[in-house]
Amino acid sequence: MKPNPYDAIPAVITETIDETPLIRTLRLRPERPLAFRTGQFIELGLPGLGEAPFTPSSSHFISDSLDVTIMKAGFLTDHIHKAKTGDKVGLRGPFGSAYPLEEFENRDLLILGGGCGLAPLRSLFLTLLDEVHRYKSITFYAGAKTPQDCPYKDAFPEWRKHPKVKLVRAVDVVPPGETWDEEVGVVTVLLAKLDIDPSSSPAVVCGPPVMMKFGTRDLLRLGFREDRIYLSMEKKMYCGIGQCRHCLMGGYYVCKHGPVFTYAQIKNEEGLWD
Amino acid sequence: MLIQSDELLNFLQRCRDRSLGSYRDVYCPVWPAARDSPHAILSPLRGTDRPALDGHRAVDPVKLLFYRVRERVAPFRADLAASLLTGIKACDVRALELLDRALVNEDFADPAYRAWRERTTVLSFDCTDAGPTCHCTLVGGKPFAETGFDANAARFGDHYYLSAATSKGEALLDLVRKNSRVDTVHNTIPAAVEARRAEMTAKVQKQSEAFARSDATALLRSAPPEGWKEESAACVGCGACTHICPTCYCLILNDESGPGDFVKVRSYDSCQWHGYARVASGASPRPRIDERFRHRYLCKLVTMKAEFGTLGCTGCGRCTDACPGGIDFRKAVHRLMANAEGGRPDAAAR
Ligand code: SF4
Ligand code: SF4
Repeated sequence: MKPNPYDAIPAVITETIDETPLIRTLRLRPERPLAFRTGQFIELGLPGLGEAPFTPSSSHFISDSLDVTIMKAGFLTDHIHKAKTGDKVGLRGPFGSAYPLEEFENRDLLILGGGCGLAPLRSLFLTLLDEVHRYKSITFYAGAKTPQDCPYKDAFPEWRKHPKVKLVRAVDVVPPGETWDEEVGVVTVLLAKLDIDPSSSPAVVCGPPVMMKFGTRDLLRLGFREDRIYLSMEKKMYCGIGQCRHCLMGGYYVCKHGPVFTYAQIKNEEGLWD
Repeated sequence: MLIQSDELLNFLQRCRDRSLGSYRDVYCPVWPAARDSPHAILSPLRGTDRPALDGHRAVDPVKLLFYRVRERVAPFRADLAASLLTGIKACDVRALELLDRALVNEDFADPAYRAWRERTTVLSFDCTDAGPTCHCTLVGGKPFAETGFDANAARFGDHYYLSAATSKGEALLDLVRKNSRVDTVHNTIPAAVEARRAEMTAKVQKQSEAFARSDATALLRSAPPEGWKEESAACVGCGACTHICPTCYCLILNDESGPGDFVKVRSYDSCQWHGYARVASGASPRPRIDERFRHRYLCKLVTMKAEFGTLGCTGCGRCTDACPGGIDFRKAVHRLMANAEGGRPDAAAR
């Protein structure tokens, strides 16, 4: 008999890292290993308060511990930001589709992301780094509103040292009093400097809907192929299994057929960027 | 096999009293105590109830039993007691067939729905009457069930013709055979049943005539935006239509864990509500009422058809009865189809 999809795996918060005033990473230790593939999502529940979908932000090669990076955006996430080391949460999943790593093999990969979209991309990036010999190069363009909104501050200098990695960050604005020595502008401006061959390279895009919309448009203009642009879609998802129907987008369930889609797959779906 | 109507009623009452069989509960549409009420309601059969075995469907959709308004799904301990659900009509049987595909499939099984289905025997009844909003024939159905039941009772005169389709149904008919006066000589559908079914079908067809349309419901996608605005003008977004629809099963999942256990409770949601698809950032794919209205129609008539191979509408007419805006589902679909490219009934014939 199939296991009950609503049973949760208890997990303990072993560490909390405040990345920015609004973004926090929880490090979790599930009671049973939770093996996910990068790009897939989980449902994280705070006992008695609720549950919401999040994409892990750690490498998928680690399954006894799991990072989840969460932006403060409402009732549940406010409570998540108040949670403490030692608190218990419930996890369900993993659900949905993963990034097709085999399609990235021996290629120059572009990763384009912004804001809360950096969480799944960190997972992808760390997973790629764990087997970096499989890939030709990784260009990672990361955007944030202001310098203080950039997550994973300590990790960036480390990641940058890797010879196969080109990592550039852009912030929309630098408010008075903050310093910034990287690019200024929306993250898509970085595409002007791209030095990989768009016609043969895959691109992964994740971020707020507007960023995904314009990012995809720019990639298509540069000559990236529709079936090599991978989008991580976000819709409301209660169940994660295609039962609650909230994430239905045309004929696709984002939770089941996604969250990772190629642009070619979903370009004609209604409400794609809403 | 044939059985007299009083004899069958008596059998069901003995099952309810637990003097026969091992059904802990017998569910049935019953006439409410107020004698002038036109609505039979689905309820556990009690001693004083007047069962509404014939006529048309009850006001309540069968999902109220199999997929409750609010139900704990984790941790889930299955209730194993057998129950008998009787008196439901073809449109509700068809809804169960859809829910079976939607809720117990290769990807997952809803634990509560599966448990209900497994422990319940469904004895459906042919319609002997059509409600004013009934339109099963418009959506490819008939006023009698041909599949999806465990056993079926087809009325003619003051007799029923009983047939079984599953082992649960066979067990029920065995019980009938052993404990009631029956005529077991007749093992094929009597001509009188066929005649009565044809008569009922014609009746529903006749009252649906004015709403005839092409079967190519996918064309609804191309109905112009003004059409949706017009049809939804009276919609207040209350969600009555989805809550009463026998095939709607959208859910909200609540976490109601206490210290030490993880409890998940699901309850009905409605795509007609603004918060339905709104994400944490506040963005919603369908902020306007006409967009949500359209979403429901497309879900019933296009998406579910693609997903489950059958329309999400069984023609029961409940949403039309329930709508405070007076929106008639049949009429709206008819007009929208007429305005969709190639959707006129005559266009399909050409
Ligand atoms: S859409 Fe309306 S008529 Fe069709 S099955 Fe649902 S409630 Fe019945
Ligand atoms: S019942 Fe009528 S008014 Fe209420 S949401 Fe449905 S269509 Fe709109």
